[in-house]
Amino acid sequence: MWAYIAKRLLLAVPVMLGVAFIVFAMVRLIPGDPAMVIAGQAATPDYIAAIRRDLGLDRPVVVQFGVYLTKMAQGDLGRSIRSHAPVWEELWARLPNTIQLAAASMAVATFVGVGAGIISAVRPYSLVDAAVMVIALTGLSIPIFWSGLMMILVFSVILGWFPSFGTGSLAHLVLPSVTLGMTSAAIIARMTRSSMLEVLRTDYIRTARAKGQVEGIVIGRHAFKNALIPVITVIGLQTGILLSGAVLTESVFAWPGVGRLLVEGILTRDYPVVQGAVLVVALTFVMVNLLVDILYAAVDPRIHYR
Amino acid sequence: MQRVMHIAIAVVVGLALAYGGMSPASGAPAPTRGGTLVIAQGTDATTLDGHMYTDSPTASIMEHMVEPLFNFTPEGRIEPKLATAFTVSPDGRTWTIRLRTGVRFHDGTPFNAEAVKFNLERVLNPDTRAPWRFLIDRITSVTAVDDSTVRLVTNAPFAPMIAHLAHSGTGIQSPTAIRRLGADYSRSPVGTGPFRFKEWVRGDRVAMTRFDDYWGDKALLDEVVFRAIPEDGARVLAMEGGSVHVAVRVPPRDIERLERIPAVRVDRTTSVRTIFVAFNTQRPPFNDRRVRQAFNYAVNKSAIVGRSSPPTGALAGTARISDAPIAPNVQGYSPIRTYDADLDRARALLAEAGHARGLTVTFHHPTGRYVRDAEISAGIQALLRRVGVEARLVTMEFGTYVATLRGPKAIDEIQMSMLGWGTITGDADYGLYALFHSSQWPPQFNTAFYKNERVDALLEQGRTTMDQSARNRIYREAMTIIMDDAPWLFLHSESQVTGIRAEAQDVIVHPTERIVATKAWIRR
Repeated sequence: MWAYIAKRLLLAVPVMLGVAFIVFAMVRLIPGDPAMVIAGQAATPDYIAAIRRDLGLDRPVVVQFGVYLTKMAQGDLGRSIRSHAPVWEELWARLPNTIQLAAASMAVATFVGVGAGIISAVRPYSLVDAAVMVIALTGLSIPIFWSGLMMILVFSVILGWFPSFGTGSLAHLVLPSVTLGMTSAAIIARMTRSSMLEVLRTDYIRTARAKGQVEGIVIGRHAFKNALIPVITVIGLQTGILLSGAVLTESVFAWPGVGRLLVEGILTRDYPVVQGAVLVVALTFVMVNLLVDILYAAVDPRIHYR
Repeated sequence: MQRVMHIAIAVVVGLALAYGGMSPASGAPAPTRGGTLVIAQGTDATTLDGHMYTDSPTASIMEHMVEPLFNFTPEGRIEPKLATAFTVSPDGRTWTIRLRTGVRFHDGTPFNAEAVKFNLERVLNPDTRAPWRFLIDRITSVTAVDDSTVRLVTNAPFAPMIAHLAHSGTGIQSPTAIRRLGADYSRSPVGTGPFRFKEWVRGDRVAMTRFDDYWGDKALLDEVVFRAIPEDGARVLAMEGGSVHVAVRVPPRDIERLERIPAVRVDRTTSVRTIFVAFNTQRPPFNDRRVRQAFNYAVNKSAIVGRSSPPTGALAGTARISDAPIAPNVQGYSPIRTYDADLDRARALLAEAGHARGLTVTFHHPTGRYVRDAEISAGIQALLRRVGVEARLVTMEFGTYVATLRGPKAIDEIQMSMLGWGTITGDADYGLYALFHSSQWPPQFNTAFYKNERVDALLEQGRTTMDQSARNRIYREAMTIIMDDAPWLFLHSESQVTGIRAEAQDVIVHPTERIVATKAWIRR
């Protein structure tokens, strides 16, 4: 097991190098000069040229990439073009917020999604099943910027229960995590339902019931645990997506996370910030995937890693 | 009948509440001390070093903590701030500035001539990379004559000097703090303003508290907090819900609804930002003045600007049709003329220029940068069609757009392009020289590639003439030629639409797109 984890972590190195190269090339392929963008309407050509020199943008791209890799190896992601602060600091200020929001949303999504999925699967093709699946489909189809604004209107402006923006307390977390969690809940519910239905049709479930086992234990212990593998995969993927910054939710709820930093970085051609943020997102994806693979083994004893 | 009475009473009470919230005049309670005012902007500060920012949300924040030598009032006047008076030598090159005495920075450092010298030299030093350096780069030396007098010498007479020293990008910050903190200074600014820095939570908020040793009228608020809420709808809702007092950039479509809410008032302040479409005057078809004038007659500006209630046009009445290349509130402005919609005249001019059978042009415009820029461009396209002009729209994200407009191929590839220009110094020189002088072709901002020798001469004269009424006459003549020559499709000055809760009193929306709460207070 430990050897497997070590192997996977080593494999992440070429992945990260690939990501670094692609992002590096991509931000430079978008037309638009970061020096010109940050300099603003006032900029004189001299000032723009000076900034280009500062950023090393006047050197050949290959040299720029070499410098970037060398610095990255030393843990230096450069300085933000816009705020002049180290990229690490910018990311560090926002990462805890993103993790908080992702964790809370995932909790909502897993609880609601798995619960709804099981209820649907236990009574397939019933009114309850249809209702749950319609709600899930609706949850998936409503764009977040609309559902988010509606949540703010109802729970913040009209009822005054929760703050509508920013961070600070647990109450701040409620509206964004529910809004964001509901989309993932819909996906998880659908996956749980189909996976459960498949398991519930198997012979050993029929055997369990035939020997007079209580229905709750049949569903909870015998069926659910075996239906869990595809559900974990989906939850893992969703967590990766949430951690990579739920840009829309972060914008609607003014949540200072990595996603917003990334978008602002792209709009202002803040190359170091874009590179740094994408690297963090990629690293998160790799780690979450590894975690999911390890979880498989914990859930299903037939799975071994060597 | 009773029901009618009830409705009538409700209306009267509603109106009373609404007006009670709006007028601080007769019978209004006296200003009270205390409380926290929360202002929601679209973005967070980029840096808190007063010499290093370029964006207006950061300018709003810095305004409260760092003060320049002079002040540009919302009415368009330049008045002393940290300076008390100035004189200029007859040759227009030596400026002697008297400074306010007894002023201290938030960290206790005394404000004096040495501090001013340190700050101006910091901005002037090319290694600082101060973006507003160009405002004062004609200064060749700064001398501290005595503790409360500085002398500036410029390499040529430069009339807008005092206006440029009123720009917050040349604000005076504590030399002690800058020396001590180095690169970290951009995270904890120290100025002389009525508020001192408290905290900056990246991407979320900047908070500041009242500075009790302020040299002037002390602030009434305990605290001012600037929050970043990027989504327009969420920002307006936060203001309606009462969790923020001020929401900037209210979308035009929300105005009518907000105006019916008694607890909220909608402020419309004409900004110094002018929106226009530049014609490439060096290449056909726009090297012919008749074509440029025809386009001006063809596009009905009233249809674009529209009205607020019921909302019409792309802007729902939140703009002012340009009657000069610069906005009112700018020193040197005078109303020149408008091109009122006249399709017959537009067609006749096009026919005279040899385009009787129509014309196809390419029209570059940004999206998401100016209020409803893409919608306005589509509107212009539709309006031009009525005189037989087919404009092909090229829509670009702003970063790409500016690079294209200022690129080396622009003169051959761009035919007409939309741009906005904020005359942030409040002086006509900045709004006219940079856009119409022939030395300012791209990569500078004369995107019309306009060249007129008389205009060049007048703009140079405006720079070197010290007497303001003489300058006004010079600019009037230059703008008359420009309006007639029509290197632009003259559009409008944007209005800043700001939602302000009724309890927040004396919040100023400045024409330079800043929110000023130095004198604000909260009614209880």
